[in-house]
Amino acid sequence: MPLKKSIGTEYLKGLWDENPVFRQLLGMCPTLAVTNAVINGIAMGLATAFVLILSSLVVSSIKKLIPNQVRIATYIVIIASFVTIADRFLAAFFPPISKALGPYVPLIVVNCIILGRQEAFSSRNSIGRSLIDALGMSTGFILALLVLSSIREILGSGTLLGYPLLGAWFKPWTIMILPAGAFITLGVLLGIAILIESKTKARSA
Amino acid sequence: MSLSARMIVVLTVVGLISGSFLSVVGLLTKERIAMNQQQEIQNAISEVLPATKTSHKVFEDGSLTIYESRDENDNPVGFAVYTSGTGFQDIITLMYGIDPSFSKIKALTILEQKETPGLGAKITDESSFLRYWAGRNCEQPLSLRKPAVESPEDLAPSEVNAITGATISSEKVLDIVNLSLERLKEIKQKGQLSSEEKNAT
Repeated sequence: MPLKKSIGTEYLKGLWDENPVFRQLLGMCPTLAVTNAVINGIAMGLATAFVLILSSLVVSSIKKLIPNQVRIATYIVIIASFVTIADRFLAAFFPPISKALGPYVPLIVVNCIILGRQEAFSSRNSIGRSLIDALGMSTGFILALLVLSSIREILGSGTLLGYPLLGAWFKPWTIMILPAGAFITLGVLLGIAILIESKTKARSA
Repeated sequence: MSLSARMIVVLTVVGLISGSFLSVVGLLTKERIAMNQQQEIQNAISEVLPATKTSHKVFEDGSLTIYESRDENDNPVGFAVYTSGTGFQDIITLMYGIDPSFSKIKALTILEQKETPGLGAKITDESSFLRYWAGRNCEQPLSLRKPAVESPEDLAPSEVNAITGATISSEKVLDIVNLSLERLKEIKQKGQLSSEEKNAT
């Protein structure tokens, strides 16, 4: 067992050191698919956070009861239930967002961040630590989606959250809200993340 | 308890608890989701036929639903046609308003589409696509104008503007409308546009 981290580092690791998008490269499918507008990015981030936090709580509280051989199946049942709740909730109370996200809400089930955290963390840590971990990972994921979708919406539509940000002189780069724009933006951001990481390492070494 | 028995018990119990939770959530949200869909259709009807006060379904078959709309003095405003068909990437669902004699399209609105963002998705855009549909003469099938013209006045009476860079999406919308217009005329000839099942909303 590694040394017990403080609550603060447990939370903060999700923001940068183990950021699900920029450092672990998990959950790429929603990251690329729904970040064409900030509002979609936020909704996706919150839906994922809801599922991740509640799944982590449930998994960490029943971890001793689950036989090792069926643990993945059990996790998936738990995750799928919370995803369905999130999906129904969005369809009932936020129909436009539910429409914009389309199949990507049900697809949270297969988001590797969620299953990954259950397997790597919640199944071997206390309820409290799992909650902190899930909160940190969710924040990291939301931040990543926020950065990605802001860049794409500003450049691709000239707006931010639907409000015109750039003047009429700006001709939107349509490619930024197409899938290719998602890959370009993510690639550039990953490059920057690695650059920062290597700089900090070089300094501390 | 043996290991296999424990495996079965744990998975069954987790499944049962999840299942019962979900049925409660499903029950709680079902009405609201159905209401949202109803609301969406109502909104679309008032969008394509702004004078609408009351509307009721007069025909429904497969992908074609027709609502008759009346204004506050109970005069017929026209029909709102709700239909869908294949787009470039996925099903496009749309609604348009037509006058009582089926000769002019009043307005078109797109309810659901998954066309390419920034290109085909412009079919939902008022300024580059939808506004060219208002007042089109639909006694004969509509046709597409390429390259697009600036002002709606430059179009022939039964022409609509194509979207630059998204010809296929524009064509698909046109096909969906033309197909439903054809069916509409058949239905009218057969006298199936009954208003018997009045469920005014």
